[in-house]
Amino acid sequence: MRPLTEEESKLVFAKLANFIGKNLIQLIDRPDEPYCFRLHRDRVYYVSEASMRLAISVARPNLVSLGTCFGKFTKSGKFKLQITALDYLAQYAKYKVWIKPNGEMPFLYGNHVLKAHLGRITEDTPEHQGVVVYSMNDIPLGFGVTARSTVDTRKLDPTAILVFHQADVGEYLRDEETLF
Amino acid sequence: MDVSEILASHEARQKLNVVEKEIPLVIDAGYLTVTDLNPVDKESYEEDTEAYLLATARDGVQALFSTLSALPTVPSPYGPLTQLPPPTTELPRAKPLPKPKPPTKWEQFAKAKGIQKKRKDRKVWDEEKQEWVNRWGWGGKNKEGEGAWLSEVKQGAEVDHDPAQELRNSRKARVAKNERQQLQNLARAQGSSSQAPEREERKKDIDRTLATTRISTASMGRFDRQLEGEKKLKGVKRKFEPNERSIEEEKKNSLAIISKLENESKRAKKEKSGGDEVLNVRKAIRSASGGKGSAALTRNSSKPKGKKGKR
Repeated sequence: MRPLTEEESKLVFAKLANFIGKNLIQLIDRPDEPYCFRLHRDRVYYVSEASMRLAISVARPNLVSLGTCFGKFTKSGKFKLQITALDYLAQYAKYKVWIKPNGEMPFLYGNHVLKAHLGRITEDTPEHQGVVVYSMNDIPLGFGVTARSTVDTRKLDPTAILVFHQADVGEYLRDEETLF
Repeated sequence: MDVSEILASHEARQKLNVVEKEIPLVIDAGYLTVTDLNPVDKESYEEDTEAYLLATARDGVQALFSTLSALPTVPSPYGPLTQLPPPTTELPRAKPLPKPKPPTKWEQFAKAKGIQKKRKDRKVWDEEKQEWVNRWGWGGKNKEGEGAWLSEVKQGAEVDHDPAQELRNSRKARVAKNERQQLQNLARAQGSSSQAPEREERKKDIDRTLATTRISTASMGRFDRQLEGEKKLKGVKRKFEPNERSIEEEKKNSLAIISKLENESKRAKKEKSGGDEVLNVRKAIRSASGGKGSAALTRNSSKPKGKKGKR
């Protein structure tokens, strides 16, 4: 376990800012308790200072996980957000997409969001913007990246992809052994 | 009724609570530590080790608890709370002592001559003003004469002779000299710490060249014949921030990175909207409509322009 280097922090923050924009500051500058980012076995954890200090005394091979896993660095050095970060993304998300009940299951099996399944979308969402996907009764299901801006979606046919799937809560079952 | 038995048993229990040793126990309530300096009684130790150790430990813990219970307590919802006194045991420091600073040139000279250091006061007595004034700084004694409304000019002085400026220049020169000496002292201190820097540099250079040549083969040094006494090639050791750093500092760094990222994205957006195309649409509309926007442009296009009608 170690703090992120500057390059790593840049990658992580850029990825998070794509979803939550300026609210990122709220994650770092919290009023309740100091929180920090820590890297452990290529995974980035968002953890309170108190539990981080407790985890210091655990040897590296024995430490399985701490705090909330936000994602991991791939071997090629890119940062990938994981579904475990959804709690915080949903809390601070700038752009949101709601999907109809008939589109929930396809999305939870790892498919992209089609126009036919789209219930609502935040106005003036730009293209390639990170969005959090909700069900119609406001339960966060996952997140992804928009394929088109809100304006462009009007003239699309119902089978066109609107949001590229990145992570969904179905991964808690599908990737249980590698997730944390 | 005979209560002597009860009294005796009570007294015996009281006695158990009081620990008496030949050398009194050293109790440090701050660290919750008891140190027993008494020598080990060899006979009873060898007879029954467990019992002896248990008895010694019991005495120590008893002594500690009786000291703790004597401390003042404050009631709280979780039961009585006791503030421990500051610890008396001195623990060794974690880090080595800082190295003494190398002496400056003046300090060397003063030592050789046996000159004692004298502390100068910040204030000096001014006879004329009859009050204490600063030695330097605001209204300082060293600036005396620079603000004088009248000063004597010597015979044969130059036409543009300015006595106030002269004084000021000489003061500035003294400051500059002191700064130069400070730098020289610093340089000397640095020089003494690394001996024969040239030779070290050369050694490092050779090592670097050797390392480069060793990995400059087709297999990047993997299948080369090992020479005798050749050491394993060491890579660059990565260095990371310590985990125990203060969170405040970390937070500050993260916020700095975020603001940097924001600036970058803003710049990128600007370039995308304005820099890529040949025609900057926003700017064109602004200049065509005279800063009123595209809506004004469409409104005006239907009517004849009234702007030209200058009287």
